Amino acid sequence: MALTSAASVGLLLMLSASAPSGAGSPERDFSADIVKRDAAGAMLGLPAKLSVSGFKTRIDTPDAAGGFFLTDSAAGTAFFIRSAQRLYVDAKQSTPLTRIFVRVEPRDPCPQWQAAAEIADSSSRDKWQCEPTKEAAVIDPVLHFPVKWRSPNGETVVLENIRIEAQPPDLFGIPAGYHKLDPQALIERIKHSDVWAPGNDAH
Amino acid sequence: MRIRGRNHLAWGAGAVMSFSLLAATVGFADDKGKDNDAAEAVNTESPIKHVIILIGENRGTDHTFGVYKPRGKHQTISNILSKGIVNEDGSPGPNFSEAQQFSVKAQQLFYIGAPKKAKTAYSANGQMPQPNTNGAPIAQGTTGAPFTPAFLALATTLDPSPDFTPNTDTILTTGFTGLPANSLDTRVPNAGILPNGPFILQGPNISDDDYTGDTTHRFYQAWQQADCSVANATKANPTGCLNDLFPFVMDTYDLDDSKTPAIQKNFSAGNSMGFYDAEQEEASLLKTLADRFTLSDNFHQSFQGGTGANHFMLGTGDAAFWSDGKGNAITPPANQIANPNPASGTTNKYIADNSFSNCADFTQPGVAPIVSYLEALSYRPEPNCAPAHYYMLDNTNPGFYPNGFQAPSPAAQAMIPASPVRTIGDALNDKKISWAYFGGSYNDAVVLSNEAVTAGTAATLNSSTALAEAALADPAHSLGVAYCQICNPFQYATSIMGNAAQRAAHIKDTVDLLADIQNGTLPSVSFGKPDGLLDGHPSSSKVDLFEAYVQQVLDALEAHPKLKASTAVFITWDEAGGYWDSGFIQPIDFFGDGTRIPLLTLSEYSTGGSVNHTYADHVSLLKFIERNWKLKPLTGRSRDNLPNPKMRDDEPYVPKNMPALSDLFDMFDFDHRVKQPFLE
Repeated sequence: MALTSAASVGLLLMLSASAPSGAGSPERDFSADIVKRDAAGAMLGLPAKLSVSGFKTRIDTPDAAGGFFLTDSAAGTAFFIRSAQRLYVDAKQSTPLTRIFVRVEPRDPCPQWQAAAEIADSSSRDKWQCEPTKEAAVIDPVLHFPVKWRSPNGETVVLENIRIEAQPPDLFGIPAGYHKLDPQALIERIKHSDVWAPGNDAH
Repeated sequence: MRIRGRNHLAWGAGAVMSFSLLAATVGFADDKGKDNDAAEAVNTESPIKHVIILIGENRGTDHTFGVYKPRGKHQTISNILSKGIVNEDGSPGPNFSEAQQFSVKAQQLFYIGAPKKAKTAYSANGQMPQPNTNGAPIAQGTTGAPFTPAFLALATTLDPSPDFTPNTDTILTTGFTGLPANSLDTRVPNAGILPNGPFILQGPNISDDDYTGDTTHRFYQAWQQADCSVANATKANPTGCLNDLFPFVMDTYDLDDSKTPAIQKNFSAGNSMGFYDAEQEEASLLKTLADRFTLSDNFHQSFQGGTGANHFMLGTGDAAFWSDGKGNAITPPANQIANPNPASGTTNKYIADNSFSNCADFTQPGVAPIVSYLEALSYRPEPNCAPAHYYMLDNTNPGFYPNGFQAPSPAAQAMIPASPVRTIGDALNDKKISWAYFGGSYNDAVVLSNEAVTAGTAATLNSSTALAEAALADPAHSLGVAYCQICNPFQYATSIMGNAAQRAAHIKDTVDLLADIQNGTLPSVSFGKPDGLLDGHPSSSKVDLFEAYVQQVLDALEAHPKLKASTAVFITWDEAGGYWDSGFIQPIDFFGDGTRIPLLTLSEYSTGGSVNHTYADHVSLLKFIERNWKLKPLTGRSRDNLPNPKMRDDEPYVPKNMPALSDLFDMFDFDHRVKQPFLE
């Protein structure tokens, strides 16, 4: 599996969203650059920006210019915010920007990430391996956060320039007046077309 | 509440602007790549080296061209204006009573030719079921069609589908009813007191830019609406189909009037009688194309009823049947088998409005009236029902998902098992002739299918439901739910959909059609189907949205004159969608034909605003392909074996040698070539 910088952000989204809900705040405020390197250590693409405050994470990446990701593992949410359109969408698994900005539903993680989530929450271990993709990550026991991820082909995503410092709260909120895009209404409209043929109930 | 659409007098400008991003992306600038056009080298019967068949949804001939006046010299057309049923302004004409509709007293069993004694014409104005908003969108939405401009902006960013562009002034945002669902559609002039017959969908508050209530279009309902009996036969109408039970069937097939108060679940009401005014800027792009090219006024939906069966017929010349997935006919689950007989105590409520019948068995509910009628016709068409075969009569999703995943439990998933029926794709493959089916939003549907497979829902749910669940989890690919699975006849076929290489080579998206035109890689044979937002289907789409889709393709071709010169574009519909029509119907077998639908033929050899009267249906498109590329009929039982019609001089719409189907070659004059733009 080739490691893209976007996929690395997805990984971080997943793990940042997988902190235990209901627990107290991990009291972690920090920022970092997300850097992708090839197997020889050469940097690939431009770095992304990571900001973390407690259960909340924000990622600004050049792979999704014009928007940013917000996760809140306590609330069980992960959104992609489109500033220009004043709209936001759920940033769910294998979505748009696709199979790229994956996130695990924090309250119902997919099996292959379950183990990772549990391990990431443990300070007694700092490494895990995810089956079946053979991806590997290093979890910082203090930050409770993955700081390095390696794909089977040797590409890595690393948090660099970690700065432990207070983060401005307004970085992590959905701006007022933004609307959420939900595909349910599209589905309801399509149900009035002949495209929709779910069986005996559809006439 | 109402947001008016664009000025139809200047129709093209707005739509072109709406899709300008796509044009810019694809780059319609030069004719490069045409020299590499492999299809040019293939030996053909005519100068046509490419056909593109564009298929809209649910519009009939009178519904669309009912008051159209041909522009070609000495051309005539059969429509409600020429018959005097309506006047030029759409008001009732001197022969309005020829279109009157009837109600029928309760009968013991399903019928397709109602007893005369049981029929009563709706009399006073307003007695005929009136137009209803049914499920048409009541307001502009932030999350569904008709969309807000903000949605379009977002969709453009997230999804490269040609459905969306950043332009916020688009017809995808207009046309909501502003009225309650399932209510009298007061946008229609005189709604509530309309007389007994067709009514015009035009007025201060309604046009072809508005969503309107749908009307049911299913197999047994369509046969019943046609009201066919040899007792009604005349010289001009030797098959005796009166087409006079359209609102009645809509009003009763799902009405439980054995209870007080009666329970009505279907609100199609009188919607089937609506029509547009092509002479007053409705369907204006289609009208312009008819003015400049060739229109058939004797082209028909090949299958009574709806989308899936008609598209299947278009791809195979035959009907699909329930099988074990390995080619052997078996009996489907009981909940798939139709029983249109009336429920006890009701006027006409079908006992089981399901989708499959074994039409070789007279004892099966609904079968005998149709087969008996066929046997009584002077030309005695064969029902063409193989023993113990349960044929798909109504919409049923294919056994394959869009990504090729095969439903493991089709019976439980209400999906028809993988089909062994030979398709035109197989025939073209055999001759190494290039072809493709371009389905709008197919690429998104593949993504959703992959996600459904990963989630496990593809193995347990119907594909419509599984893709909808995937869309909820994946908003940016949610347009994949608008890809029409049942419209793709090849998605049923094991030979195509069950083969990854075949799938990759032949099953594509609209963006690929436009790219192929641009790159000079257009296949010899192309089928183009817009997604559910652009297909023109009432309630979920609009006439002008389908026109916008058509214009995208024509604009692309226009930019490549060499390619255009050797290309014929056929524009038609899957069926009339339950809309009433005044035209002659030629029953061919148990499955159809059905109501007339328009067929426009665009090429440099079919110009001049002609109207062709030769009898044809969807299978005529297969016959054209087969003749042009020298192929044989698909199978021994497929309809493409039928001869070309020998048309009568005295009744130009009735073949002398029924059953017969045109191969459409007489819509062209290959000795007379005229280069002209598609649109002025």
